[in-house]
Amino acid sequence: MLDLQRLKLFLPFLFLLALFGLLGRELFYATPNEPPSVLIGEAVPHFQLPSLFSPSILFTPKTFHGQISLLNVWASWCYACQVEAPMLMKIKDQYHIPVYGIAYKDKAEDAKQWLQAHGNPYALIGSDLKGDVAIDLGVYGTPETFVIDRQGKIIYRHIGVLDQKAWDDVLHPLIQQLQKEKL
Amino acid sequence: MLSHTRLLSFLITLAFFFLSASVFAYNQSEYQFASNNDASRFDNILNETRCIVCQNQTLADSDAPLANDLRDKIYHLVLENKSDAEINDFLTSRYGEFILLRPRLQTSTMTLWFFPFFALLTAFVFLIRLKHK
Repeated sequence: MLDLQRLKLFLPFLFLLALFGLLGRELFYATPNEPPSVLIGEAVPHFQLPSLFSPSILFTPKTFHGQISLLNVWASWCYACQVEAPMLMKIKDQYHIPVYGIAYKDKAEDAKQWLQAHGNPYALIGSDLKGDVAIDLGVYGTPETFVIDRQGKIIYRHIGVLDQKAWDDVLHPLIQQLQKEKL
Repeated sequence: MLSHTRLLSFLITLAFFFLSASVFAYNQSEYQFASNNDASRFDNILNETRCIVCQNQTLADSDAPLANDLRDKIYHLVLENKSDAEINDFLTSRYGEFILLRPRLQTSTMTLWFFPFFALLTAFVFLIRLKHK
């Protein structure tokens, strides 16, 4: 009887402790800047963008079919994209994964100049002058990278610079797993 | 005399509070509507939508480039006579429920909406039992 009374006494403190635990978790481990994309598992929303180098060629989600690829949203005015550029080159040259680009709110001549300076890892680049396609993709900012499977579905989204660590830890294993799945 | 000083300091604090409320507000003259109803609908939606790159601001009081783009999108959706629900669907299908500052009532937000009532009720029951002892 006495023990039960004592337990009752401590109950509020236990509640408080649980609350602190919850708040602490939110404080240290939550990633409010990277909420999960609602598009994961969905087909890439329809878009139609003129190719940066030859505007008569249209870049549409059909391009993604039949291969595992990356879709990278970037801009010449985006500093972080410069940091990311060598990694994208490496993905194209060493890992042989095709990378597609969306030039986000970027003037064609600026984008071309940037590609000359930093290299062009992209198999095809669509010019999203007004940023409409980026909004349809739920993009927060540049750079952002989507992993797309053979059916043209979005499997994963990486927000921010894609570095070797993110590639080794998350994207590459994911792609290898997708490659194992039967054609 | 003392109460006067107190009142004055209270008013000054209050003044600061209101003066610091908002630094940026979108330029309403940039968005023209045929009807006042549409204009106020537009304003309401902007005030209920999170600017996702500057998370605790609304689309109405953020000057982030993405906020500008989303304002333009919503403007055109209002002009196209899309309902509030359709516009909310447009936003959440791209950016998730998170973009709405007032989460809608659905399975995933049940706890959020009803836990406060549950907690209050529990507290009352607890208090009443305590009193009757």
